[in-house]
Amino acid sequence: MLPYFARRLAQAAVIVAFVAAISFALIHLAPGDPFSAVMDNPNVSESVRQTLRAQYGLDKPLPEQFARYVGSLARGDLGWSFSHDRPVLDVLATALPNTLLLMGVALVGSFSLGILVALIQVARRGSATDHALSGVTLLLFSMPEFWFAILALLAFTYWLPIFPVGGSVDAVMHDYMGLGARIGDRLRHLTLPALTLTVLAAGGVARYQRAALLEVLPADYIRTARLKGLTEREILRRHALRNALLPTISLIGLSFPALLTGAFFIEKIFAWPGMGLAVVSAISSRDYPLVVGGVIIGSIMVTLGSLIADVLYAWADPRIRAH
Amino acid sequence: MATMNHVRLLCAVALFAGCVGSESTPGGKPGGTLAISIGGDPDVLIPSLVSTVQAAQMVDLVYDRLADIGDSLNVVGDAGFTPRLADSWTWSPDSLSIAFHINPRAKWHDGQPVRSSDVRFTLQSTRDSTLGTPVAALITNIDSVSTPDSATAVFWFHKRTPQQFYDATYQMPIMPEHIWKGIAPAAWRASEAAKHPIGSGQFRFVRWTPRTAVEVAADSANYRGAPKLARVVWSIAPDFPTALTRFLSGETDFFEVLRPENIPEVMKHPNLRVKTYRSLAYLFAQFNLRDPANHARPHPIFGNRELRRALTMATDRATIVRSVYDTLALPALGPTVRAYPTTDPNIRQIPFDLPRARLILDSLGWRVTRSDGTRSRNGRPLQFTLSVPSTSKVRIRLAVLIQEQLRQAGVKVDIEQLDFRVLVEKERKRAFDAAIGQWNTQPSPGSVRGSWGTPGSHASSGTNYGSYENPVFDAYVDSALASFDPGNARSYFTKAYETIVQDAPAIWLAEPRGIVGYNARVHLAPLRSDAWWAHIPDWWVAAGQNTP
Repeated sequence: MLPYFARRLAQAAVIVAFVAAISFALIHLAPGDPFSAVMDNPNVSESVRQTLRAQYGLDKPLPEQFARYVGSLARGDLGWSFSHDRPVLDVLATALPNTLLLMGVALVGSFSLGILVALIQVARRGSATDHALSGVTLLLFSMPEFWFAILALLAFTYWLPIFPVGGSVDAVMHDYMGLGARIGDRLRHLTLPALTLTVLAAGGVARYQRAALLEVLPADYIRTARLKGLTEREILRRHALRNALLPTISLIGLSFPALLTGAFFIEKIFAWPGMGLAVVSAISSRDYPLVVGGVIIGSIMVTLGSLIADVLYAWADPRIRAH
Repeated sequence: MATMNHVRLLCAVALFAGCVGSESTPGGKPGGTLAISIGGDPDVLIPSLVSTVQAAQMVDLVYDRLADIGDSLNVVGDAGFTPRLADSWTWSPDSLSIAFHINPRAKWHDGQPVRSSDVRFTLQSTRDSTLGTPVAALITNIDSVSTPDSATAVFWFHKRTPQQFYDATYQMPIMPEHIWKGIAPAAWRASEAAKHPIGSGQFRFVRWTPRTAVEVAADSANYRGAPKLARVVWSIAPDFPTALTRFLSGETDFFEVLRPENIPEVMKHPNLRVKTYRSLAYLFAQFNLRDPANHARPHPIFGNRELRRALTMATDRATIVRSVYDTLALPALGPTVRAYPTTDPNIRQIPFDLPRARLILDSLGWRVTRSDGTRSRNGRPLQFTLSVPSTSKVRIRLAVLIQEQLRQAGVKVDIEQLDFRVLVEKERKRAFDAAIGQWNTQPSPGSVRGSWGTPGSHASSGTNYGSYENPVFDAYVDSALASFDPGNARSYFTKAYETIVQDAPAIWLAEPRGIVGYNARVHLAPLRSDAWWAHIPDWWVAAGQNTP
């Protein structure tokens, strides 16, 4: 098992390095630079812009900038964020927990909800409920994330204002609340973005799980369980679900990239101060180090996610473990 | 048409509501929190480095200048200026120096007294080339600051100019030497001191939580007295729509950049109000007078003055402005705004006259020969690209209307929507045909020299992206800026503006009013053209409606 993981880790490192190089080149190729916007002022001369470019080493040729960046990276330094005037590592360290919280809640929520919906569908297979839920899950699965998120934002913060309009806390009052109220405030802000991401991801999980359950239901051990007199509910829960969960576990790894990009959209729309919001803002402000740093952290998360899924799969399936 | 009437009615209601319900009532009770919705973090909280309007609001409340410009925005001499850190000042007989007497009660928010050495330090650091501040270019007439004693800062000038008092005060909020002197100017942006600014204004800095909020609180022991509000919090949204929704949903009290199309939505809320004010912004469709492919050559279309005049003549600016802004803007007069005391609102314009524009184009050899009605000459169609930032709905709408109006004159306009930074980069490199731009100016009309004068037309140094050059215009502007008599200054500026208007390096489009939205619980003071936030210390919240 150990050589396998070592090989996977080496592959992951190559992928991350490749992604970092590509993103470095792409963002630097985009027209403009971090100081283009200061030129939108009749009093700002080109010399001011050149001074700023020199301060941040942007006046050097691109290969030299890349070599310097790689050197910093080797020392564990992701560079300096122009737009935050802080180390990129600091910016991402502040944002990452928010993204992980959002993704974590959505991951647990979407798989729990998706499996529950699949169980209901399979228990009532062929019924109107099954057909209706199939339609709903298909709709959620195919719906563009940003569109659904904007709709949810409008619906529940403006037309029916039961949730706050984005952010992770009440910007005005949070610092003046007691501990309990602070936790409540944070939960209130988390609910809508997490719920949106959960509902969107649950559609795919439900469809996948339903198919997996239907696949195991004709198996011999299910027929045996029926002959033993177990109820349909017990058969589904104790026998069918446990076996049908294996492909769903591999789905966790596969859904990680989708969940991460989904979280980026959700963060932008709900102003959730996570990595997605930081990176999207960095792209528009041409904050090169923050963009590349965000991409590196994102690709590490995705490769780690897929690695974790492999471990879970091996843990859950004794055949893989033995192999 | 019905929709337009509806919008017009709502605008009228909004303006009425704004005008009637917004003025301050003297003697508001102190206390209360003002929550302002903004669409982005401040860039930096160091006065000389600020480039965003959000940061300017915060910095202006935390730091003080020696004297503050009056609401009339006079920049000649010291008329209208009110004492701030300096409680008085004395001009030397030859006017080559001004002695500012620091208010003995003035203190920094950390308790240290404000001294004349802080003033000297502010000038020296602002001029440090490693700091990279645009302000340095605006204070070149200041030679030095001497400090005969700790309460007197004497500004010495190279020459006597009408705006020397303005240069010494408006451009430089005073910074505490004891905080900044140990930090190299090149490292200021990244320093911890920049994250926790210490000023001497009526509000002291409390916190900056990136992408969440910036908060300032009343400095109750301030030498100018405590402000009426207890706290001001800027709630930071990542973009305009989220910031607007926070205001509409009641999460915040104030929104500074309402667009005309937002007003009907605001008016659906009985507790929300709209107020407009004269801004210092103007919009224009700028022609590039040099060939983008070879800057040494004139532009194949816009190099011809008569053709540019014909394009202006074919554009019904009044209709365009009414369509986009309703009553919330006026057609621009030229590279200026009506809020300047030196601007004559009757500057002679190129009138809208489509038949005459067609005749001029015919006479220049641009004739309709193509089936789509586009003119051409020697096989070259009369066609150009008009660039606009994709984030500005207003500029996109202006571009579409110009496209349609010029089509009627046989001119084909291709609209190119660009990321804002990409557009600025193209303008900087003079790699564009035409672009819809906007200048947000300062109280001094002098910035016109950089944005439309010869000194600013060279790619390496200036923001005169269209490369318009006319020594007559330059001379009138220089004479106006050198004139001590307001009447003469106005007369020279009028001649300068008429010169450039007749040369038509741009179609002068709109001079929009600033539009803010606010909750009725907040009582505003007058909004100043250059900085609507200037009088926030005088705003107040009605008793019983305070946020704790």
